[in-house]
Amino acid sequence: MPKILWLKLWGSILSKVLVIIIFVLLLTVSVFADTELFQQANDYYKQRDYSKAIELYKQIESSEIESAALYFNLGNAYFKNGDLGHAVLNYMKAKRIDPTDQDIQQNLEFAQRFSSVQMEGVELNPITAFLTSIVENYKLNFLAWVSSFFFILFIVAITLRFALVYNNTLTRMFVVFSLVFLVIAGGLTTFKYRSDYLTKRAVIIAEDSKVFTGASEQSDVELEAAPGLVVEILSESTDYYQVLFENKRRGWIQKELVAEI
Amino acid sequence: MRRIIILVLFSIAILSVGIINAQTTDEVTVDVSLDLDTIGMEEFATLQIVVAGKTQNLPDPKMPTLSMFDVMSQGRSSNFNYNNGVVNTSLTYRYLLVPKRPGTFPIDQISVVYNNKRYKGNKVELTVLSNGSSVPKSLSDKVVDARGDTKNYFLEAVVDNPTPYVNEQITLTLKFYISIQYYGSPELSEPTTTGFWTEILGNKAPYYQTINKTRYKVIERKYALFPTQTGELEIGRALIRVTVASKSSRQDDFFGFFGRGKEVSIRSNLVKVNVKELPGMLRPDDFTGTIGRFNITATANKTEVEANQPVSVTVKVSGTGNIKSVAEPIIPEMDDKFRVYRASTSENISKVNDKIGGTKIFEEVFIPKRPGDLEIPAIAFNYFDPSTHKYKAISTKPIKLKVTKPEGFIASADIPFDAPDAVISSNTRDIRFIKEDLGDTRQKGRLTLREPIYIFVNALPVLVFVGLMVVRIRNEKLSGDVGYARSKAALKEAKKRLSKAKSIASTNTTADFYLEVYTALVSFIADKLNISPHGLTTDKIKELLKERNANEELVNQVIAIMKRSDFARYAPSNITQEEINKDLSDAENIMAEIVGVNFE
Repeated sequence: MPKILWLKLWGSILSKVLVIIIFVLLLTVSVFADTELFQQANDYYKQRDYSKAIELYKQIESSEIESAALYFNLGNAYFKNGDLGHAVLNYMKAKRIDPTDQDIQQNLEFAQRFSSVQMEGVELNPITAFLTSIVENYKLNFLAWVSSFFFILFIVAITLRFALVYNNTLTRMFVVFSLVFLVIAGGLTTFKYRSDYLTKRAVIIAEDSKVFTGASEQSDVELEAAPGLVVEILSESTDYYQVLFENKRRGWIQKELVAEI
Repeated sequence: MRRIIILVLFSIAILSVGIINAQTTDEVTVDVSLDLDTIGMEEFATLQIVVAGKTQNLPDPKMPTLSMFDVMSQGRSSNFNYNNGVVNTSLTYRYLLVPKRPGTFPIDQISVVYNNKRYKGNKVELTVLSNGSSVPKSLSDKVVDARGDTKNYFLEAVVDNPTPYVNEQITLTLKFYISIQYYGSPELSEPTTTGFWTEILGNKAPYYQTINKTRYKVIERKYALFPTQTGELEIGRALIRVTVASKSSRQDDFFGFFGRGKEVSIRSNLVKVNVKELPGMLRPDDFTGTIGRFNITATANKTEVEANQPVSVTVKVSGTGNIKSVAEPIIPEMDDKFRVYRASTSENISKVNDKIGGTKIFEEVFIPKRPGDLEIPAIAFNYFDPSTHKYKAISTKPIKLKVTKPEGFIASADIPFDAPDAVISSNTRDIRFIKEDLGDTRQKGRLTLREPIYIFVNALPVLVFVGLMVVRIRNEKLSGDVGYARSKAALKEAKKRLSKAKSIASTNTTADFYLEVYTALVSFIADKLNISPHGLTTDKIKELLKERNANEELVNQVIAIMKRSDFARYAPSNITQEEINKDLSDAENIMAEIVGVNFE
């Protein structure tokens, strides 16, 4: 290959590496900046200047960075500022990132007790409840890697069994067991992913949130909701979401009265 | 039926006898006392017998023959009281005992018979001195004033022990002697007792004592004193004001009834007490300064208890001495077995025979920490006994407790566990505080599941698997299908031969060179078509290639090179090096083109 071509190739590789390095550096700098901002926000929180704390926490959020601690603190600031809806919203966001953190769970439950409307007759489908009880204490990432582990194990098993033709009882058992574990882990991961990310949820943030029987103000009022209630978004029209409450009551609510998690 | 009635009546009769007996048992007490236990031959003592019981019909006591005394009855007094439906009666008999001869005489066998039962009184002893007076010399001196006249009245203060230990009880006795008539009751100003903790024991019933042939009425008042400091202490003078009959007024008054008395003040002597320190030798380390004579007991309200349930242990220290100064007994450390709490302390002070004593009760609550057979160890207590001048250590008996497992307790018996001291409800008062650390951050909405690295990690083994499967399938095909194997290996074989030909491309090895070139081409075609290379003539090859729609020019080139190879193999000397090089180059080009022919 001519020398010039080699140089060109090297040049292109170098330029790509440089771009990556710059990107990583920028990211590091931005994380440092965010940490500083986070500390400032915490200081405002400690001084009971919750509005200012909210402002700074949101500034970090707008830089496309998120963490469980950020949402947790933001939730706390909203709670102290008397905004129950946004408090619950941010606790839910924090919980989705780190469901293992007891502080988040505690504050979420604590805040939800203050909602002026409490749902009666909340009954989970027993299978959903069972699966939820298994996955609720694990992070999605953790489940994903567990599934991946069993997937690789399964591939190794079928490689041994079919590609390298180790046709004995041990490899056959290996295939079966790795498949069983893969199905369980994969199923749980899918369930978790579905319920955390594919199912759209929202929190009611506005006072006087009327839930109508149809997607217009002319419809009858199905129920009066209150800030802090969590709903599942079933469908949407231009200005309305069709929402499902925990106790299976459903209706239409104006989009601006809720915030999607 | 009759039998049953008789049986019932009989039972009732037996029961009623039992009840009557029970009621009468120990219902009568006989208490015998003397006002003085030592008298002179010219003096006398008063014997008092108190018969008491819960009945109105108390019998008279039976007096034994007291041959050594002249016994004179001083009369009988009775006392009734009615309390909660029970009648309490007491009869007091007084006898004057005038001795006939000196000696020590026991007085017992005084008894009463009630409901066919005999109740005996306690035994007392009276000593009669032969010298004619039980009065000490000092007292005989005291009754004489400066002029040698006998005093009509005087006040004496004495202590039973002028050299006590600190905190040891001494008894101060004030004795007011008066031999003349007085009016009203004497008025007493108590002595000052700085440096003592003082408890009044009370007044004794007045009695008479003859000193130097003068009969005095003696009024006694006693005090228990506990010195609180060492060194020489002084008990102040007591003062009695009393109105006595004045001789002059008595003369004026004919009948002696309206005699105006005169008020006199009588002071007692000062009493000095030298308080000793407790001996330093052999003093226990945990000695707390308690003096007297004591006993200690400990009782638990139950000996079988569930773990974490309280057992109340009553530690009772009783005896004589300053009960108020009794310090709390030391309870040994038992952190692994019990938690111990002080519940209460109470004291009950009693005065017995002029000695202050009583009981101090410490209520301790022991909460066993774990099930099993536990023991509340002996609780030790020490004090100084002034009568023996020694420190004494006493202790309770250990108490064995059987501690059972409470319901729902699942830990093993060896693991101690604590019951909550306070219950904190699960209801929190506020949200949990903010996090100080931003923690692991990630790009918003970024998920491992969607990360390229995750997809790569999972895809890589799949690719490896697929690759290995392809290899396996190919190997299987090669081993099972000779034609396929030959076809696959054909090009490789041909190239091998050509490269061998290239290595021997010289005029010295012309025949071998052309043989390799020829074989490379023929074998390639034979392998591709899975036919034998032997018997493949140029015409046959031409036909075969044409059947496979090979390029006309290529076919001609193949035939040409085959013919040249044949010729060169049999006449190698006519071939030059240039020709060899050209034929090698032609053969390579043919190979490159013939691969494109579809032999399938």
